[in-house]
Amino acid sequence: MSCGKIYLTDEVKALIGATAERVEASMWGIEKEGLRRFTQAIMDPDPRFWDEEFAKTTKFGEVVTPAIYCSYLNRRTPPGADDPISRAFAENPESDGIGGLHQDEPGRLPAIPTDLKRVLNGGNEIEVYKYPTIGDRIFSQSKITEIRERVTRDGSHMLITITEHRYTNQDDELLCILRAVGLLR
Amino acid sequence: MFTADELRNPEQLYYDDVEDGQELPTYDIGPMTTTHAFRWSAAIENWHRIHYDQDFAVYHDGLPNVLIHGSWKQSIMPMYLKNLCLPEGWAWKVSFQHRAMIVPGDTITCWSRVTKKYEKDGLGFLDLETGMRLQNGTETCPGHGTIVLPIKGGRAVPYPFVPPSDD
Repeated sequence: MSCGKIYLTDEVKALIGATAERVEASMWGIEKEGLRRFTQAIMDPDPRFWDEEFAKTTKFGEVVTPAIYCSYLNRRTPPGADDPISRAFAENPESDGIGGLHQDEPGRLPAIPTDLKRVLNGGNEIEVYKYPTIGDRIFSQSKITEIRERVTRDGSHMLITITEHRYTNQDDELLCILRAVGLLR
Repeated sequence: MFTADELRNPEQLYYDDVEDGQELPTYDIGPMTTTHAFRWSAAIENWHRIHYDQDFAVYHDGLPNVLIHGSWKQSIMPMYLKNLCLPEGWAWKVSFQHRAMIVPGDTITCWSRVTKKYEKDGLGFLDLETGMRLQNGTETCPGHGTIVLPIKGGRAVPYPFVPPSDD
């Protein structure tokens, strides 16, 4: 049975449409070594990602990257920054390894003001328009497009958020749009 | 899994050759291991311990084992659809839910089924039901996608991709 509390408060609703500043996601542009490691980790040996001569013969005309590669570029810790792992464990010896990371970086959306603290990945959607290429600078802009509340069968409350991340290149060409469904329980 | 040579010049799947309800070729990955998960963690700098520290995953978070990342899964489905479309088609959209865990030892089969085919602007569109099924039949990532295939004798699928005018 529901506790009767409403989690979709006016303060929470006010965040629908919140848009973060457009920021550069890539540190040094798209570079080969990062791409090699990424495609190795998804086990995709496609020569379009590494063989320059072959890539020239394809419809893309040059080496490209998986579209979704854009979405991982801004997770990297820049050189000279505080070591986030050491900081996380200094704050909490039982840290999950990511506690406190990335909370205050430019381009981040505001946190949802709620008592619901458990965050689950409900799903994803990606639309692809153009693949990044070596040397591209990648920019991202995030937006909260939807927040709704659901009471589950066991009576617990959940906020469902949809955030949209648009990735563009240095020429402002749209590369891909990633939508993420977050479940706050 | 594909080899690099198999991906150089795969035989084009044409819109004309696909029917409503048709199962498209599947793609198997695995068995997955903790080492695969750790390699992904390192590649994207995701240091959450549930993906490589079994003691933490099991005794702290109460999980059955370390987990293969949701972010890895969300990178696999676009790859699967991309490879279905090579060399001239386009994997436009894919969406999915994270329904079940993938743990070391699991083998994954990416699959898709045509739910609707239609032509727009001289291109062949296929709406798909998609998923990532485990060796025991569990569906971990049910979802949907749309791919665009060339029509025999028709125009090339544009790159960068331009959506249909009424979409």
